[in-house]
Amino acid sequence: MSEKPLSRFVQPIAQPGRRLLHHIPLRFVRKKVSGGGQRSVNQEIPLIPFIDFLLCIVLFLLASFSASGELPIDKNVKLPNAENVLDMTDAPMVAVTGTQILVDGTPAGNTRAIVEANRLQRVDELFNVLKNKRELWKQLNPGKEFSGIVVLQVDRKVEALVVKSVFQTAAFAGYPNVSFMVGRLGQQG
Amino acid sequence: MAGIDTGGGHGGKRSTNHEIPLIPFIDFLLCLVAFLLVTAVWSQMARINADARVPGPPKDEPPEDVKKEKQLNVEMKETKFVLIWKEGNTVVNTIEVEKKAVPVGNEGDIRYPDLAKKIVEEWTQNGSHRGDLKDDKKTDQAILHTDNSTPFSDVVAVIDAIYTPKRDCSICERGKSVKLPGFNVTFSVN
Repeated sequence: MSEKPLSRFVQPIAQPGRRLLHHIPLRFVRKKVSGGGQRSVNQEIPLIPFIDFLLCIVLFLLASFSASGELPIDKNVKLPNAENVLDMTDAPMVAVTGTQILVDGTPAGNTRAIVEANRLQRVDELFNVLKNKRELWKQLNPGKEFSGIVVLQVDRKVEALVVKSVFQTAAFAGYPNVSFMVGRLGQQG
Repeated sequence: MAGIDTGGGHGGKRSTNHEIPLIPFIDFLLCLVAFLLVTAVWSQMARINADARVPGPPKDEPPEDVKKEKQLNVEMKETKFVLIWKEGNTVVNTIEVEKKAVPVGNEGDIRYPDLAKKIVEEWTQNGSHRGDLKDDKKTDQAILHTDNSTPFSDVVAVIDAIYTPKRDCSICERGKSVKLPGFNVTFSVN
């Protein structure tokens, strides 16, 4: 910043130019640090573009922020995708991989018996785990209405027979409101 | 550094120039970026509903007039879909739709747009509960009949097609009307 104003009027907006270390009151120090007629050794870091960049990142991350948190998805489950979907809800998670059934990550039976029998049947281990979960919820929330929602994470290659058996088992255990977890496809037209 | 320079401040007066403290501001932004990156959810998961409570969730009051409602039975055959409107055991109408799978994306997903279009037409003509959910709490019932060996991805594609017709719900979210599927899907166990 020049010490004299550019015109006889005081300029409310300063002339653009170097700012860093140009305001040191001692002239010899100022001359020294800003170069003193030679090429200055001091470099100014362009902070304004950096702040702009950070603000862009913050805005993007805020736009994609979800307060509900990340959903635990079993690594072995490859989910199908669908268009007409609902938002996820907080409920017990039953994962059906190749042969294993997991409830919130804990093993709760397998599907081999269903495939071997080739008919719809109840999975006893899953039934007991879900029933216990339901009873525990009722003990912890006395007087509240139980929603009966359960979310099934089913691998895309699993046969319909297994899906129907797990669906029926969940309904028998007091979870008739079954949802299938899917990936979200973009809406068309 | 960024500052506001008015060119004054001489003659023993208090300077009107100001330096904006950018470094703490950058620190704050970096902290915000780090927090948002750690808590970011990159996967877009959703759910597709299937309800075992047929004809609907239980109510406190006993049903006054038990009227058999029309239900849409969707049968998945090898080369076609058969849509059957039934009232109890009485078949009201039967429609056949060619099974034309359209691949979507590169993960092996398929869609049945012809089936979706036909279901929308059928629901518009024959659906019993098409109004706002605020006035009519019931939902039309669709029953999916599928072969035991059908892969789950095909089942989801058909359920997705059944959920294409939408109805309004002005009580589901505060202050705005949302669209909900016109059908409630369940599986046939025969």
